[in-house]
Amino acid sequence: MRLIALTATLATTLLPVLAHADAAEDALEARHGYMKMLALNMGTLSGMAKGEIAYDEAAASKAGSNIEALSGYAVADLFIEGTAMGEVDDSEALPAIWENPDQFAQKFAALSEAAAGAGEAVKGGQENVAPALQKLGGTCKDCHDDFRKK
Amino acid sequence: MSAGPEHARRVRVWDPALRMFHWSLAALVIANILLGKFGPNVMTLHFWLGYAIIALLVFRLVWGFIGPEPARFGSFLRGPSAIADYGTHLFRRQPSHSHGHNPIGAISALAMLIALGWQAVTGLMSDPEDFVNIGPLADNVGSATAKAAVGWHHAGANLVLILIGLHLAAILFYRVWKNEDLIRPMITGWKWVRGR
Ligand code: HEC
Ligand code: HEM
Repeated sequence: MRLIALTATLATTLLPVLAHADAAEDALEARHGYMKMLALNMGTLSGMAKGEIAYDEAAASKAGSNIEALSGYAVADLFIEGTAMGEVDDSEALPAIWENPDQFAQKFAALSEAAAGAGEAVKGGQENVAPALQKLGGTCKDCHDDFRKK
Repeated sequence: MSAGPEHARRVRVWDPALRMFHWSLAALVIANILLGKFGPNVMTLHFWLGYAIIALLVFRLVWGFIGPEPARFGSFLRGPSAIADYGTHLFRRQPSHSHGHNPIGAISALAMLIALGWQAVTGLMSDPEDFVNIGPLADNVGSATAKAAVGWHHAGANLVLILIGLHLAAILFYRVWKNEDLIRPMITGWKWVRGR
């Protein structure tokens, strides 16, 4: 009886903690995956801009559209409390994200703005890739400068 | 021994090439720190100034071996006893009349060159994962190193700023405390020296 009671108490007190740890882990993994997806598509564009990958209009446009689509995702929701750098392993998220949520949201909005029409902008020739890439990449840097550990 | 200023001679310590090097380096380094911290997100200009700084550093390295006497590492880098000896009378209120760098100033100059060399190397290796400002050697060093280099470059820039601060403080100290003007010699080349 006492054992059951103890287990029950333990379960009810520990479960939320475990659930919370899971949520943190999930959010961290998800946002890393999100950034990686941005990076993969940016990699395609940068390869084409540098001439390391042969320009292919359809592939370029797909990469641009992917970034555009990704930039519509509410990524701020993945930066949940308690997942700053030092609070969970592998996080490079600076506490500034939670101290200046508006500014963080602004940097994300800048990415969305730069990404708008990216799928179209990279069409029409290799020379159109670099300008679009720089516009996008500038917003990655701008946010990483303030909100990601160096 | 009375070694007052009356025994000092006015000689040309800093050659024209070295003076050009000094002021170009000062201007470019300050500009590049400002560009790095506050410049445009597409850092093309920062890269170009970085390459110019690398060219200056290479010149300085060569000049340290084949340049005129005061510019040579072999003449201004001194042993521990010369450094300690200079340290004991550093606070005397009289000019050093050093023929070029004094033994402690030499450490500061060397530290500055090494720190800037570090900036150049880490900058060339940096991959900040923005797909725009990728150092030309980032692909050659592996992605983990290239990512870490961004942090090293950031820390190095702060070190450079500290060294610049020390450098300016030392010049002010010589001006005010020791009544020795170190700026004019770096402009005209002429300096009051004693000894060698
Ligand atoms: C609104 C801010 C913001 C924008 C915009 C942004 N990032 Fe990030 N990025 C972050 C933060 C914060 C992290 C650190 C996340 C962490 O470790 O929890 C990060 C991490 C990364 C990572 C490392 C992921 C990992 O697995 O550790 C990559 C790669 C990345 N970003 C690429 C990009 C690219 C490419 C862009 C532009 C297309 C971009 N980011 C735009 C905030 C941003
Ligand atoms: C030699 C003198 C140099 C100085 C003093 C210098 C200084 C700086 C500074 C202050 C920053 C901002 C870093 C921060 O605040 O986090 C920066 C960023 C950067 N520098 Fe340099 N730099 C130098 C050379 C170079 C060179 C030669 C390159 C590459 C060719 C380079 C590439 C970069 C890159 C890619 C960044 C961006 C890193 C980021 O996104 O945080 N730098 N530099």
